[in-house]
Amino acid sequence: MERSNARLGWLFASPYLIYSLIFFLFPLLWATYLAFTNWNLIAPDYEFVGIQNFIQAFFSESVRAAFFVTYKFLAMFVPIVVGGSLLLAVIINSLPKFKGLFSVAFFLPYLASGVASAIVVNGVLSYNSPFNIWLRDSFGLDIDWLGSSVLAPLIIALMMAWKFAGYYALLFVAGLESIPKDVYEAAEIDGAVGWKRFWHVTIPMLYPSFYTVTILAVGLMFGIFTEPYVLTGGGPDLATHTWQLEIYTQAFERLNAGYGTAIAVINSFVTFGSILVFRKILEKWGAKHGW
Amino acid sequence: MKKIRYYRLLVLLFVTAMIASGCQSESSSGEGDGSVEFDFWAAPNPSQQVFWEDMAKQYMKENENVKINVSPMPESPSSEAGIQSAIAAGNAPAISENISRGFAAQLAGSSAIVPMEEFEGYDELIQERKMEETIASWKFADDHQYVLPIYSNAMLFAWRTDILKELGFEEPPKTYAEVLAVGEKLKEQYPKKFLWSRADLVKPTWWARWFDFFMLYNGASEGNNFVEGNEFVANKEAGVQTLQLLKDLSEKDLLLTREATDPFETGQSIMMDIGPWTFSYWAEKFPEMKLGETYDLTMPPVPEGVDYENTKTFADTKGLSIYASASKEQQQAAFDFVKWVYSNPEHDLEWLKQTNLPPARDDLSTNETFTGYLDEHPELQEYANNIPNAVPPIDSEVTVEVQEVIGTEAVNPVVKGEKDPEQAWSDMTDAINKVLK
Repeated sequence: MERSNARLGWLFASPYLIYSLIFFLFPLLWATYLAFTNWNLIAPDYEFVGIQNFIQAFFSESVRAAFFVTYKFLAMFVPIVVGGSLLLAVIINSLPKFKGLFSVAFFLPYLASGVASAIVVNGVLSYNSPFNIWLRDSFGLDIDWLGSSVLAPLIIALMMAWKFAGYYALLFVAGLESIPKDVYEAAEIDGAVGWKRFWHVTIPMLYPSFYTVTILAVGLMFGIFTEPYVLTGGGPDLATHTWQLEIYTQAFERLNAGYGTAIAVINSFVTFGSILVFRKILEKWGAKHGW
Repeated sequence: MKKIRYYRLLVLLFVTAMIASGCQSESSSGEGDGSVEFDFWAAPNPSQQVFWEDMAKQYMKENENVKINVSPMPESPSSEAGIQSAIAAGNAPAISENISRGFAAQLAGSSAIVPMEEFEGYDELIQERKMEETIASWKFADDHQYVLPIYSNAMLFAWRTDILKELGFEEPPKTYAEVLAVGEKLKEQYPKKFLWSRADLVKPTWWARWFDFFMLYNGASEGNNFVEGNEFVANKEAGVQTLQLLKDLSEKDLLLTREATDPFETGQSIMMDIGPWTFSYWAEKFPEMKLGETYDLTMPPVPEGVDYENTKTFADTKGLSIYASASKEQQQAAFDFVKWVYSNPEHDLEWLKQTNLPPARDDLSTNETFTGYLDEHPELQEYANNIPNAVPPIDSEVTVEVQEVIGTEAVNPVVKGEKDPEQAWSDMTDAINKVLK
């Protein structure tokens, strides 16, 4: 009985296991091997170069830029998207009707093509857009939105927040709906109403959703490519140069596939380490408050 | 018991590995009966794909032992990346178009493509297609021809002649001094207008240099090469003059280096680097843009003392390459197909009609096959006239790095006012020499 159950378990798990082996484990092992070679992706021959690629990456200005730019994006994006999606979720949850409709409406930007939305943003921020003409004519403000090393990352962070806020709001709405009514009733009896109720009841009860959304948002920052690629090309002065842009440039434009793979390996360790740190911080914070 | 489970897991892993390795497709070759089948990758552009599909159909009718599978090349994240991935996976076609000279240098450096001149019938093809002059500048540093150019856009500058006339100029400027004189008058009369709107001038994007620096440099240097193999052979005087012009334009507030929507068409700027792909966009969105009325097309302006009549420009040009991974039979069959296509100028006319991209022929502006069509489309005439005067991209394996350096060390800082042209040229030279080592 136990054995046939185990067999059945393996049988049902096998599609995912096989998929993971083909599309995850083999490529991962292959990529790790490539990171120690000087292969250019097309030559029949290549050499094993040891840790040379990693040393080169360590001293590379653009890799360093990608490292710091990611945390810069993180500092901008995570508070905006977590706060924004929470606010959105609270508003949607308090609607008397059409909750589903509004949830889907706010979710739509997530489905939009990154290239298309980047092109739209590019148009809105262009020198002769109605918005910029109005700023110049009304206030004498001539702002080079994508040419400023401060504004360009902020615009990309805001764009990403617009795209993902609806998606994360869905997770918060699910969390809000799972809070039992009797908890609120008990809080009301104890005199917790309005903001008090929100801070002392809703937020603690939402901790699992908050934890999930924050970790998802942090992880996302290590994989940004489309928006900076289309809007800024990583500029000005590497201010929006991300890990994925660096990997793409090295592997596919400069044909340094071995080196590009080494950067990808470093990127995966940095991502893993960063997410681990954020998880620990959130867990400690949650434990401190007894959540 | 546990052992059995481990063995099963190992078997599962082995089977999975076999499945994974079996996922690679193989380009089919001859069947051993004299027939040959090969894959042709067209550019990811519907009009080009239609053209090649049509050509393949006609060819297969005449040659029943040949089967050509035409399909668009993958273009995610770029067509170059698609080709590289296919080569890496062993799925490359026998032949593909959309190959630029710089990319071909990278492919040739890894022996991924084969020299064209080694195919039987190559000289005949060059003669039949009347492209001796055009293809001469395509020769690579190792004396091979790895690409057969299909089209060549001699990049031109468009000028808003209607605005020039308002400023008192009857024709577009030909020299740098004339350009600056136009700019001065423009700022006097229209302080909010610009001479040239080009956001890429302050960006390091490597391919952007083709449409600003190389257009001007090729004009100033009379087509002098920039890099030959692993050697930096640029003409310093012409390079510094080019950068000086950019500096002068920037200092006089004649350059708009911000992203702008249709600045030339709306009259916000009066000069624009332009390729023939723009005309279909204008026909749809700006029908008021009329050659000879609102705009004119010219070759790049040149410094004083350079012969404007024989000036050069940058050639935005791509061609066909044959891949080393294909069998000898497939390679020859692919070449024979190309030779058949280009042995008839009517095919080139069909290409021109479908794509608006000028075929890479020396006789495009004189051959009667094309003159009728060009008379109906005068905006293409200037492109046709200048095909022999257009210099293709540099053929270096490190084209990307070299052109990035031109941006980061020279063009970008000069336009931003951070470096003077002499210093920028010197820094750029040092950096390029490091890249070429």
